[in-house]
Amino acid sequence: MLINAYSKSVYNIALNFFAERDIASDVTQEIFIKIYHNLDKFREERNFSSWVFTLSRNYCIDYWRKNKKYLLNSQELDEKISTGQPTPEDNLIKESEIEILRKKIAQLEPDLRIILILRDVHDLSYQEIAEKFSIPEGTVKSRINRARLKLAQSYTREGA
Amino acid sequence: MTKKCREIESLLSAYLENELSRDEADNVAEHLNSCPECRNKKEKIEELIYKMSDLQEEVPFFLKNRLYNIPEIVEKKKPANLLYFPKWLAAVVGTIILFLNLFYFTNIFPPVNREMHSFVYSVEKFVVKTGGWFEKIKESKELLFFTFFNKKSMDLKSGRRGQDLAIEKDFDKGGKNG
Repeated sequence: MLINAYSKSVYNIALNFFAERDIASDVTQEIFIKIYHNLDKFREERNFSSWVFTLSRNYCIDYWRKNKKYLLNSQELDEKISTGQPTPEDNLIKESEIEILRKKIAQLEPDLRIILILRDVHDLSYQEIAEKFSIPEGTVKSRINRARLKLAQSYTREGA
Repeated sequence: MTKKCREIESLLSAYLENELSRDEADNVAEHLNSCPECRNKKEKIEELIYKMSDLQEEVPFFLKNRLYNIPEIVEKKKPANLLYFPKWLAAVVGTIILFLNLFYFTNIFPPVNREMHSFVYSVEKFVVKTGGWFEKIKESKELLFFTFFNKKSMDLKSGRRGQDLAIEKDFDKGGKNG
């Protein structure tokens, strides 16, 4: 039941955070192991979905920090490949627009990234995000605006 | 980029989501009409918001299977309550043992070293003493049980007695022969 209710949300947070399916699958699995391990630590007065989202967010940011070097290298490699002369092979495996957008999101700072994903992909309200992460609503709004502006800028450059 | 552009930029998301007051919204709209750069940004953000709603995907089948197995794996991995030994306690016990060894085998703090040696000596004495008691109890048990109930010990004893008699007889014979 828990898996049916939350697997899609957790997987999509991880997928849009890292922009790589393999990593997203591993991270989703690790997050669920963590959830099951800590089920007895969950206090009933808290909202369960908030707890799951906070756990997911913390795990994604931790994973990113620990593997920053490798993740940034793979992103840089992608950049080099995409900016180079397109070969016939490149054309065959041309990424869809969605994949490009995901990669652009994955280049934002982790704090901006996670909030943007929750707002624009998961359609959570500003208030819900503020409650989930215990930050003021105004901060959420300004971070989302900043994230959107940055993303629009980098996405335009990619499109140009 | 002008100061006004920067101000409008900070309000773009709120403007697109109808979160501004009427006056603020009018102010932004007015600026957007006159500034192509800001208008372009606004259109880009609008497009992004629209595209991002398509980023949700279904969980792959193989992952869902892996996830369904997690409760079982976690249940198996959980230590039994009786055998549970907290990490901090293990660390404390380990540290104490380390220091005891250090004080016992080196002479960093002579009084402690002396105390420990005298303690170990008294323990050894006690062990030897109790060992002695234990032997005595064992012997008395042997006397009680082995005399009456243990056939093997009886046989051994009678066997030894028989051997002794035979030797005595041989000795007598030898004596007579000699």
